[in-house]
Amino acid sequence: MGTREVISTGNELSAIAAVDAGCMFFGGYPLTPSSEVMHVISDLLPAKGGTAIQMEDEIAGICCVIGAAMAGERALTATSGPGMSLKAENLGLAQMAEVPLVCVNVMRGGPSTGLPTRVSQGDIKQASNPSHGDYRSITLCAGNLAECYTETVRAFNLADRFMQPVIVLLDETIGHMHGKAMLPTVEEVEAGIVPRKTFDGPAEEYFPYECGPTDPAVLNPMFEGYRYHYTGLHHDKNGFPTEEIETCRKLIQRLEDKVMAHQDEIESNEEFMCDDLTGEDGEVLIIAYGSVSLAAKEAIRHLRADGIKAGLFRPITIWPSPATRIKEMTDKIKNVLVVELNIRQYTEEVERAASRLDIEGLYKVNGRAISPYEIVNKVKEVF
Amino acid sequence: MARTLMRFTGVGGQGVLLAGEIFAAAKIKAGGFGLKTATYTSQVRGGPTVVDITLDDDEIYYPYANEGEINFMLSVANVSYQSFKKGVKPGGTIVIEPNLVTASDEDRATWNIVEIPIITIAKEEVGNVITQSVVALAIANTYMSAIDKQLLLDTMLSKVPAKVHDINLKAYELGEKYASESMA
Repeated sequence: MGTREVISTGNELSAIAAVDAGCMFFGGYPLTPSSEVMHVISDLLPAKGGTAIQMEDEIAGICCVIGAAMAGERALTATSGPGMSLKAENLGLAQMAEVPLVCVNVMRGGPSTGLPTRVSQGDIKQASNPSHGDYRSITLCAGNLAECYTETVRAFNLADRFMQPVIVLLDETIGHMHGKAMLPTVEEVEAGIVPRKTFDGPAEEYFPYECGPTDPAVLNPMFEGYRYHYTGLHHDKNGFPTEEIETCRKLIQRLEDKVMAHQDEIESNEEFMCDDLTGEDGEVLIIAYGSVSLAAKEAIRHLRADGIKAGLFRPITIWPSPATRIKEMTDKIKNVLVVELNIRQYTEEVERAASRLDIEGLYKVNGRAISPYEIVNKVKEVF
Repeated sequence: MARTLMRFTGVGGQGVLLAGEIFAAAKIKAGGFGLKTATYTSQVRGGPTVVDITLDDDEIYYPYANEGEINFMLSVANVSYQSFKKGVKPGGTIVIEPNLVTASDEDRATWNIVEIPIITIAKEEVGNVITQSVVALAIANTYMSAIDKQLLLDTMLSKVPAKVHDINLKAYELGEKYASESMA
């Protein structure tokens, strides 16, 4: 795989990735600490013939992104937690109508306006179900600078494959840190793009929501001769509202199954220094994601220097969670510590996946990063 | 090379971010690893700002300086100096702008406190206060010998507009001169 060295920040890399992945539309409202995504893409898109619009608020930002996506474009919005709260209703609409888009959330302290310039991972649970109703969120979480690029690219590909919003979680630390990233070449990124499926038969035979039980809808770009209805109500194969019992059941079941039946295409994890963990007493498994995983890796270096065999399991696809792999790892290793910048948001998912209630946790919610030494001390204290 | 940890502190709007980016980029160009993080308050102009710079030949994971491990700090605002000085390793060097920062006797016993009027140099000798980040860059590199001077200058020049290259080169030379004199 060809690689190129880029010196940049996470936010900038996310914006560049979107453009390299074929995104031609950005709509949003600048919100700390995500604003640089918008600043950078506002420079890049016009030069490629694309469009970047600052709308009047975060709600309008996602609404115009839905419109661009309905017209067939790859489209992006970016925000932080307060903006996610505002976008929630329309993320639900995009789930229901099966509109592919990417939403980057650079997490800051919450709830509400919280700590605008400080780091947090408080939006983990929100990302799993931003709006009401049943559907499966696809949420990816960058754990280093390179992944701000590669996970944004992957988000666009998954959005078109599964015809739904994909959330990319960065956090203030990752979004603003400035350093080296080794990236795939633009040619590799372009070669990996699989265009959204379209129907090219006779218009009278086109039923966008008539598909297999684990398949996404096939939505042709609007204004190209194929007419269908688009709504947040339960709908039939043409997209028109219906309350027909079986149609309603099948629709919502399909929103669940189109993701869960294909989790192998979505799941992505990193296992760092786990190869020599055999399940002996005293071994430690740390579970962390996003910027906290950087502190965890440094902590593992220190722990191993002190003779403690420790490794990191890092979910990159946060939702759906890698429950099967978490179960395998936590069945083997007794001492498990989840480290996160919130209070137990992912720990509860680990407990569920592991079927264990003795998972230890290290949490921080004051807007400051967790340092490697805090992790080292916690491991030594609890195990 | 062992890990080099530097911290630049000031208040928002003073331009302390740029020096950090230049250091990180120059180290990466030299084949190593460099990371810059900035922490600031939601009061963007006037709030305390801290920039941590980590340079290493090996991969750096955690991007912030661990408290108590910092080798070198530079401060041009008292509020930031008081908040962040404890991150510096005892015996480490802290360069302060004496017109704006006050170090106690206890501080002087703990760290090597060096007074260099960074802002006055930028404003009066270079002729543009905005060059203070390059004066700071020169002082830090003179103390730490972190990066080859020419590489650092080339990286700096690549990040500032061509029309201000001369004034920034002058800022660097003056920063280096004052730092060398303070070390003598």
